Amino acid sequence: MTEARVTENPVPPTGTSAELLLDGVSRSYGDNLAVRSISAEVPASKISVIVGPSGCGKSTLLRIISGLDEPTAGRVEFEGVPVKGVPEGLAMVFQDYSRSLYPWMRVDKNVAFPIKHLPAKERAERVRFAIDEVGLSGKEKLYPWQMSGGMQQRVAIARALASHPKLLLMDEPYASVDAQTRADLEDLLMRIQAELGITVLVVTHDIDESVYLADRIIVLSAPPSVVAEVIDVDLPRPRDHIATKTDPRFVEIRGHVTRLLRSKEQATSA
Amino acid sequence: MTLSQHGTEVHVPLSAPESEAVEERAAQPLAPRRRIRSGIPWPVRVVLRVLAPAAILLVWWLLSQSPRIGLFVKDPKTAFQRFVDEFLSGDPSRLFLGDATYDHLVPSVGRALAGLGIAIVVGVVVGVVLGLSPVLTALFQPMVHLGRSLPSPALLGVFFFLFGTGASPKIFLIAFSVVWPILLNTIDGVSSIGQTRAQAAQVFRIPGRDVLFSIVLPGASPKIFAGIRTSLSFALILMIISELQKSENGLGYLLIQSQRTFDYAGFWAVLIALVVLGVAFNFIFLAIERRALAWHRGATQQND
Repeated sequence: MTEARVTENPVPPTGTSAELLLDGVSRSYGDNLAVRSISAEVPASKISVIVGPSGCGKSTLLRIISGLDEPTAGRVEFEGVPVKGVPEGLAMVFQDYSRSLYPWMRVDKNVAFPIKHLPAKERAERVRFAIDEVGLSGKEKLYPWQMSGGMQQRVAIARALASHPKLLLMDEPYASVDAQTRADLEDLLMRIQAELGITVLVVTHDIDESVYLADRIIVLSAPPSVVAEVIDVDLPRPRDHIATKTDPRFVEIRGHVTRLLRSKEQATSA
Repeated sequence: MTLSQHGTEVHVPLSAPESEAVEERAAQPLAPRRRIRSGIPWPVRVVLRVLAPAAILLVWWLLSQSPRIGLFVKDPKTAFQRFVDEFLSGDPSRLFLGDATYDHLVPSVGRALAGLGIAIVVGVVVGVVLGLSPVLTALFQPMVHLGRSLPSPALLGVFFFLFGTGASPKIFLIAFSVVWPILLNTIDGVSSIGQTRAQAAQVFRIPGRDVLFSIVLPGASPKIFAGIRTSLSFALILMIISELQKSENGLGYLLIQSQRTFDYAGFWAVLIALVVLGVAFNFIFLAIERRALAWHRGATQQND
């Protein structure tokens, strides 16, 4: 099934991949400072992962990056242009697939919805490609609620891909699925990223996941969050769950990130 | 540095267990669920369903045999005969319907549907506007509750004064009376669409028109339908009430006329027509709802 697809669907041309820049981004709600002076660079055509303890303002940061919220200080640049409102070329996958997909639309309609403005022929082509890309061919006419959680999240990924994003944001995308499905979806993401060369920014609280997926890890501290460290992960690709996760380098980086998060937590609770 | 640009193909076979899970869920038929739920074999169920109507008919017949009550309560057979004579006919060109159907039932139903139609349009439009704006909701909420709690038949005189004596005062009375359940349910449905769904629409830069017609309205539709269902029965009640005064036709008019002329068989025939009408309305409504909300039944059953 997977072999056949490659010949049928050539990789569509994507624009030059985007680069995201955070420069001293802060956001407070009243007196409550959620994130404090975050500065980081998200390299183009790579997978970057923001990891941090729960409640560290990861979602706030994603809202700011996606233009849904504005920072109280600092700036966000996408492809060298300051972000004001949701920028073109950005797509997002939410944690809660059951709420982000529309239960009254079948799979193909859900995927086609963000690109409704395109001519029918191109739209159909993109939908077919995106659904194929996440391995859901033949399931186009199902409703999301007729599928397992993992498959619903695949639909959400397909919907994001259909809009041909340069930057794909993922907010705890696999936090609501079981471990086996999660592993499959992580590999799916890495394969798609490699094929399409898009820039991916994942937010997670899972340290293993961050090291396994990332070219670059941005470690956040407990709130009010600052960047504790930026780590470039030099593990070879393609990665897989057995070889990569037993690689001494993987174990070393994971230990390092864990220590970073733990020491920060202790510092705040002490 | 560029380990993975496009062109590199890293394929991971999809997990088999997941694909199977889909088949299993999607193939779930509805019929066995129903059988399990009721747990009663169908012949017994048919008997049980027939039992209550049969009892009513029996009591009706017994009452009609009483020398005093029988003056008013005509026996079922006479009443049904009269119903068939007046509301039905043997003429295929008239769709097997009788004079009373064309002269009274059709105008009544026309006004009820016109009133209900106005109420649906106004209720949904205003409900969407209010539901999307917390400020407007707060502003108009007292008015909505005032209007809702007003016993609307009391306003019939006002409507006669405003709209004369034709069909329009009746239509507007029905519309005014039945708009509230639709309005309140639409507000409720629209304001409970959910943050993630709204956010997803924002991130994908969905134009406002599509958000309205493809997200807000479908998302609120289960609640809107529940409101319309309540309004439907209200509309039938108000239809009769509006015809009790200053009316030249309609089932309510027929009801009053037959009582005034001591034509009690005719009176009971109208009641039968009303029962048939109510059942037909409900049947048609359920058929529409079943089609429009098929996704909703499926989605909620999965969450059980």
